Order: sequence, then C-alpha cells, then structure tokens
Amino acid sequence: MTHIETSVIYNDQEYDQYEYMVQEEEWDRDLLLDPAWEKQQRKTFTAWCNSHLRKAGTQIENIEEDFRNGLKLMLLLEVISGERLPKPDRGKMRFHKIANVNKALDFIASKGVKLVSIGAEEIVDGNVKMTLGMIWTIILRFAIQDISVEETSAKEGLLLWCQRKTAPYRNVNVQNFHVSWKDGLAFCALIHRHRPDLIDYSKLNKDDPLGNLNLALEIAEKHLDIPKMLDAEDIVNTPKPDERAIMTYVSCFYHAFAGAEQAETAANRICKVLGVNQENEKLMEEYERLASQLLEWIRRTIPWLENRTPEKTMVSMQQKLEDFRDYRRMHKPPKVQEKCQLEINFNTLQTKLRISNRPAFMPSEGKMVSDIASAWQNLEQAEKGYEEWLLNEIRRLERLEHLAEKFRQKASIHESWAQDKEKILSRKDYESASLTEVRALLRKHEAFESDLAAHQDRVEQIAAIAQELNELDYHAVAEVNERCQRICDLWDKLGTMTQKRREALERTEKLLETIDQLFLEFAKRAAPFNNWMEGAMEDLQDMFIVHTVEEIQSLISAHEQFKATLPEADSERQAILGIQNEIQKISHSYNIVLSLTNPYSTIKSEGISAKWDKVKQLVPQRDQALQEELARQHSNERLRRQFAAQANVIGPWIQKKMEEIAHSSIEMSGTLEDQMTQLKQYEHVIVNYKPNIDKLEGDHQLIQESLIFDNKHTNYTMEHIRVGWELLLTTIARTMNEIETQILTRDAKGISQEQMNEFRASFNHFDRKKKGGMETDDFRACLISMGYDLGEVEFARIMTLVDPNGSGIVSFQSFIDFMTRETADTDTAEQVIASFRILAGDKPYILAEELRRELPLEQAQYCITRMPAYTGPGKAPGALDYSSFSTALYGESDL
Amino acid sequence: MDLYSVTLEGPAPWGFRLQGGKDFNMPLTVSRLTPGGKAAQQNVGVGDWVVSIDGVNAEGLTHVEAQNKIKACTDRLSLTLSR
Repeated sequence: MTHIETSVIYNDQEYDQYEYMVQEEEWDRDLLLDPAWEKQQRKTFTAWCNSHLRKAGTQIENIEEDFRNGLKLMLLLEVISGERLPKPDRGKMRFHKIANVNKALDFIASKGVKLVSIGAEEIVDGNVKMTLGMIWTIILRFAIQDISVEETSAKEGLLLWCQRKTAPYRNVNVQNFHVSWKDGLAFCALIHRHRPDLIDYSKLNKDDPLGNLNLALEIAEKHLDIPKMLDAEDIVNTPKPDERAIMTYVSCFYHAFAGAEQAETAANRICKVLGVNQENEKLMEEYERLASQLLEWIRRTIPWLENRTPEKTMVSMQQKLEDFRDYRRMHKPPKVQEKCQLEINFNTLQTKLRISNRPAFMPSEGKMVSDIASAWQNLEQAEKGYEEWLLNEIRRLERLEHLAEKFRQKASIHESWAQDKEKILSRKDYESASLTEVRALLRKHEAFESDLAAHQDRVEQIAAIAQELNELDYHAVAEVNERCQRICDLWDKLGTMTQKRREALERTEKLLETIDQLFLEFAKRAAPFNNWMEGAMEDLQDMFIVHTVEEIQSLISAHEQFKATLPEADSERQAILGIQNEIQKISHSYNIVLSLTNPYSTIKSEGISAKWDKVKQLVPQRDQALQEELARQHSNERLRRQFAAQANVIGPWIQKKMEEIAHSSIEMSGTLEDQMTQLKQYEHVIVNYKPNIDKLEGDHQLIQESLIFDNKHTNYTMEHIRVGWELLLTTIARTMNEIETQILTRDAKGISQEQMNEFRASFNHFDRKKKGGMETDDFRACLISMGYDLGEVEFARIMTLVDPNGSGIVSFQSFIDFMTRETADTDTAEQVIASFRILAGDKPYILAEELRRELPLEQAQYCITRMPAYTGPGKAPGALDYSSFSTALYGESDL
Repeated sequence: MDLYSVTLEGPAPWGFRLQGGKDFNMPLTVSRLTPGGKAAQQNVGVGDWVVSIDGVNAEGLTHVEAQNKIKACTDRLSLTLSR
C-alpha cells in the first residue's frame, strides 16, 4: 500500500510529524473511505459548510457536486476567512471551474496549508474522497487549527478543551474523537457546562445514547446556532464513529462556547480594569480620608503632649502618666496601624496604578507622604518629650512628697517627744525633795540633757528638709515652714529651760549636801552621847546589892568619878544641839521645804535635852541611896560580929561533946550500966546548954532579916550549929539506945561482959574508919578472921541478915546479933519444938485439947488456928504440926 | 541473877531449910541443905531465893503460907529459884 504522507505543515505551528502522521495513517487515499465514515463525513461536512454559507445566503445540497465549479468553495472561504478572494471566473467551461478551484486552493495554501495530493481537477471531477479531504483540510485549518487551550493547540488543544470542560462529569471520559462521543453524554456535558439552563444533565442516561445525541443535536441547533451535523443513529450504530466528523462538530461547540467565553473574558477584563480603577479611586479616597483623619488626630494630640502644666500631687501626675500610658497602649496603636495602613494603602495604590499603567497617585496638598511622615515624627518627638517630662515631674513630685512625708514624720515624732518636755522642765519638784531625790533628779536631768543633745541633729534634719522643700518649690511649703518655725522656737526654749533647771538642781543639791553633812555630824556625835546618857541613867538607877562595906564604898567612889565627868558631857551636849540649830538656820534662810528628819539618826535634840535633865536629876538621888546603903552595911557588920562571937564558942563545944560521946561508946571502960550513967550525965549537960543555941538562933534570925548571907568572922553557919546540935542530941539518944539494946541482948542471949568486950574489940578493930559501923569489906575481913570461910553466896546471905536495909554499914548491934544468932538460932527454934514435944507427950504432933490444957486459952487458940495439920507418919485426927509452926515462927522451916 | 527450876520427886522430906517470908521482911531463901537430900541432888544452892512454889509466885507470902504451900505438894514439888 502506498504510504500516504499527507503531512500538512503549518507555518506558524509545527507539529510533531509523527503524531500527525499517526492520525493520518488511518486515511488511505487510495482506498475508499469506510462507507460509514464517508456517510458521516458527508453529512457533517455538508452541515458545516452550510452553517457558514448561510451567512452568504446560500447552501449546498451535495458536497461532491456543489463544490465542483469552485464558486461556492470560494464563497465558503471568503465567509470563513473574512477576506476577499480574487474574482471567480464566470464561465462554465472546465477550465473556468478548475481556475476557480485553484483560486480556492491557492487561498488555502496562502494560509499556510500545504495541500499535498489534492488537485483542482479531482475536485472539479467530483472526487468524493478528495473533496471530503479538501473540506477536511479547510475545517482543520480554519476551525481547529487556531484552537489554543493551555498552550496546546489544534486537535490536542481541542481534545484538551473537551477534557477540561467535561472533567466535572464523571460519566464522561473524552479520550478521543470517536468512541468517547458515542453515548452522547459528552455533547450534553459540553452543553451543560456552558449553558446549564439548556439541559438537565442529571436526567440523562448513559444507556440512551440515541436520546442523548438527539437531545444534544437538538439543543445545539435550536439554541447555539449549530446545525445538526451528525446523525445520531449513524453514530450509535457505527462501532467507531468518524473522527473527523466528530472533530468538526465538536469544533463548532468550541467556537460557540469559546466565543462566549471570550466575550465573558473580555467583559471580565473590562470589569477588572474598571474594578481596578474603581478600587484605585476608592483607595485614593480612603487614603485622603485616613490621611486627613490621622493628621487631624496628630494635630490634636501634639498640643496635649506639649502641655507642661505641672500638677501638684503625685497622684494626679501619675494619673497623667496613666493617661499617657493609655494613649500609648490604647489610643496610639490603632493610629500606628492607621498610619501603617495608610502607607500600605499608598504603596499598594501606587503599585496598582503602576501595574495598571496609571499615573502615580499624588495626594493632595498637605497630605503627602512626607507631610504625614513629618507630622508623625513631630508626634513621636512630642511623645518622647512628654514622657520624659512626665517622668521627671513624677520624680520631682515623688521626691517632694517623700520629703514632705519625711518632714511630717520627723516633725511629728519630734513634736510628740517635745510635747511634755516643757512641762517637765518647768517643774519645781526639787524644792521639796530630799538630797537623794535631788541627786536622782540631777541624774535624770543629765540623761535628759544628753537626750536633748541627741535630738539636736534631728531638729537640724527637720530644718534641712524644710529648706529643701522650699528649694524644690513644694506646693504646701508655707505650712511646712510654719511648723518648722514652731519646732525651732520650742527647741530654743527647751534649751534655755534645761539650762535653768540644771542650775536650780545643782544649787539645791549643794544646800542639801551641806545640811546632810550636818545631819551626819549630828548623828555621829549624838549617838554616842545618847548611849552615854542612857548608860549613865541606867547606872544611876542601877539596883545594887552589896554585902560589904567595901563594896558600897567602891560604888560611892565610882559615883564620885562619874560626877566629875558631867561638865565635859554638858559641853558635848551643847555642841550637838548647836548643830541642830545650824541646820534649821540654813533651811530657813534658803527656804528649803523639807522635813528636817535626820536620815542618819532617830535621836532628836529634844530627846537629848530631856535625857540630860533626867541624868542631872538622878545624880543626887544616887548619892542618897548610896549613903543609905553604907549605913546599912555598917549595921550588918555589927550583927555579923555578934553572931560570930557566939558561934565560935558553941561550935567547938558541940564538937567536943560529940567526941566525948563517941569515945565513951568505943571505950569499954566499965559495964554497960556504967556507960549508961555516963551517957545520962552527958545528956543532962547537953540539955542545959540549949539556951545558948536559942540565943544564937535569935541572932541568926536578925542576920537573916537583914539579908546577910555570909559571915567572914566565923566558919560556923547557923545550919552547922543546928545540925551539929541535933546530931548531938540524936547521937546521945542513939548511943543510949544502943547501950540499952546491948544490955537487952546481953541479958537475952546470956552474953557475958567479957564476951561483950570481945565483940567490942573485934568490932572496933575492923571498924577501920572508926565510924561506929563496919563497912561491907570490913565485915568480910572480920568474918574471915573469925574463921568463917565464906563463899560469895553465903556472904551475901549473911549481909542480908546483918544489913537488911542495904545501907552498907554493919552496926555493932547487928554485928552482935549476927554473932550470937549463929550460935544460937537453931537452938531457939529447937527449944520451942522441944517444949511442944513435952506438952505433946513426945508425939510428933500435938492435939488441940492438949494445947488448951497446957497453955493459956488465948495462946492455945493462937496455936490451934495457926498450926498446920500434921501430915507425917502416925497421924491422928486433929493432929497439929508444932514443928513447922515453931520453925515458921523464926522464919525457918525444915522441909 | 539466874532463874532456874527444879522438880523434886516426892514424897517429903525435900531436904532443905526455908528461911524468911513477908512477915520477917526477908526474902524466902534456902538457908540450909540436907547433904544428899532431894534438893541437894537437884543442885539447889544455899542462899538461893525461892521465886515460885508450884508455879505460884512466892513474893508476898508469909513464912507460914510458903511452908503450907510446900507441904501441900506431896507427890511432886516444882520450885523456881534464883541464885
């Protein structure tokens, strides 16, 4: 087969030959067109030509016939190009027709289409294929070639356009110019896309391609002025509809809509431009407006910022600062924004104008960018200045307020301190104070003075602050000055008063000291003097007890000595009283009001005077008393002597008698009866001597009444004499009694005189101390010498017998009793038993009737009642035990 | 002063001599002992005081009362003495 190379090369656009060749490969020149395609092309191309030819008022019926003479062809070209072709030849001859066709073909070629293998003769001859090919070439060149969609042109461009426009329709997928269009939805979609009012796309059904196609064809013809160039049935029934036909019909849609679009675009452009213009104008107006506003605002604000009226208080200043802050925070930012906006607007405007080729915007007089900039600068300058000023002012006010407060504080403190000081300093408390109190006041005053000094610099500080307030022009400075003045005046006054007080206190102190010294002097002298006086009073009233003349005489001499000291004492007294007077004089002359109580002494001058008078009084009293006593002592002495004289006689006499009596009892000259006689003589003498004793007693009584307790003239006291006398009496009596008992004993025990003398001699021998009685040891020695070998127990027994009272002395009588008993005691009891035995007829018991018969009734009854019943062997009823009875009589029973 | 007690088995004689009594103002004492007698066998001592007879306090008894008390004890004699 012949490889058709119908490469149509366009001058202004170059295609990839390959692409185009691919498309054209389907067309085989030599072969008949696919009959279906031929049919479709014929219909479509005819309709297309007619759509243009009707503007020239003509139509074609048969595409291969009606173009044979070339006239309608030339007409068609003129219509579709809008250009005049060369005048056609009006002949009917073949060569006329060929010439006309050639004119048409030349025109086509002059439009840049290389018509290869299409000749005029074939057209004149009515070659369908050629004719269709030529028409297709024309369609391609004039309807399709100029299509440009997104830099894609011609067929691809058209395809792209279709794809873009049908993109929203999901059931449409345009990939080619044949089968994609079979279901008719693509056409409908295209229509709906541009004129949704013409078609209700949602009602369309993919399965009704015929309906869809017919609908589209119908609408296109009626509303879009696109004749029906396709046959719906043909399209549906052909498996692959003719591409060119489809392309041709679709290109009509493109031109219809794109045209509208162009118009729209053009309108848009105009609108845009107009809009831009309007916008620009609005922006300019806006700019003018904002600029005016801003400038106005700046104009208003700057004076406010330049206002430098100072405020009085920090609070109001702070309020201003607050306002400024508000301005900065709230009022200015929007303005800044406005300015910014202005600038932006201006720039934008300028840019827009520049872009839209309009002259630059020139703001009106005074609203130029520079004006605004400079105004703004002024504003900011003013702001800065204002802020600075505000801060300075605030600082200043702060300082002022601080100072003022400080002043107030210090002043208050000082005033409160100084408040009562005036009163204190004017007190006259020292006038009635004691020395210690005045001294205390002086100390307090010293402390006050240093306190005052300490406050000096505080006052200076206050003054300094006041000064500063003046310099800094404090608004309430007058009041401050007044107060400061008051403080200073008071301060000076206090200074003066302090000084005065000091002087007064010191003066008073001096005086009180002097007085105090005097008091001390007084005390120092008055106390001992007082003691002396009291001592003297005591002594002068002293109760004395004297017993001798010497004693009283010494007292008298002491008294005389005392009297000698009186004048000296008197002068001391006067001196002391003088001191007191001195004190009073001083206190009166200096008007010192204080109680003149001597702190060092409780002794008063009146007391001293009183005592002194008393002393003076007592002295003669004492004299008298002493003299009286002296007389008494003398008399006592006399009594003593008297007594002594007597006692010294009586005493020895008694002594002598005692010795004589003792001697006589110890001596064993003569019988006991002789001794008794002698003793009786003694007794008689003694009794006759009694009156002497009585007399002595009388003297003694006198002595006692005179309260004489001693007597150096005799060693014998009354008691001595008395005792001695009584002892004498008792001795003589006892001695006599002893002799009597000895006589009795001798008679009772049948002791001979020689025995008696023996006993006496032993006794005397062992009476070592010659007291008339043996001591225990003496007795023991005696017994031992007599051959009694005694154990302690036995000796003790014997001691109880001889000394039943435990006196430790064995008398001669006891001694004799013991000596005689030992040898005779058992006999005595035995004798009685023996006597009873005789009466009982040798029985060991005795009967009551026997007793009655032998003894007097009374004694018999005594025995009967006391004798125990006999319980021994051979007892009879009524038998009485006389043995135990007898031994019992002597306190001894054998059991 | 040692107190001691003896119990002499009867019958009498007990083998001692009683001396003293309240009526004699002398304490009841043993003034003599029969050598080998019942009292001597029981180591009663001469000079010992009789404190109680048959449990009865002997202080304050007269000689006859004491004697009778001792005589009343036939089978047995209990004495408390002190040496």
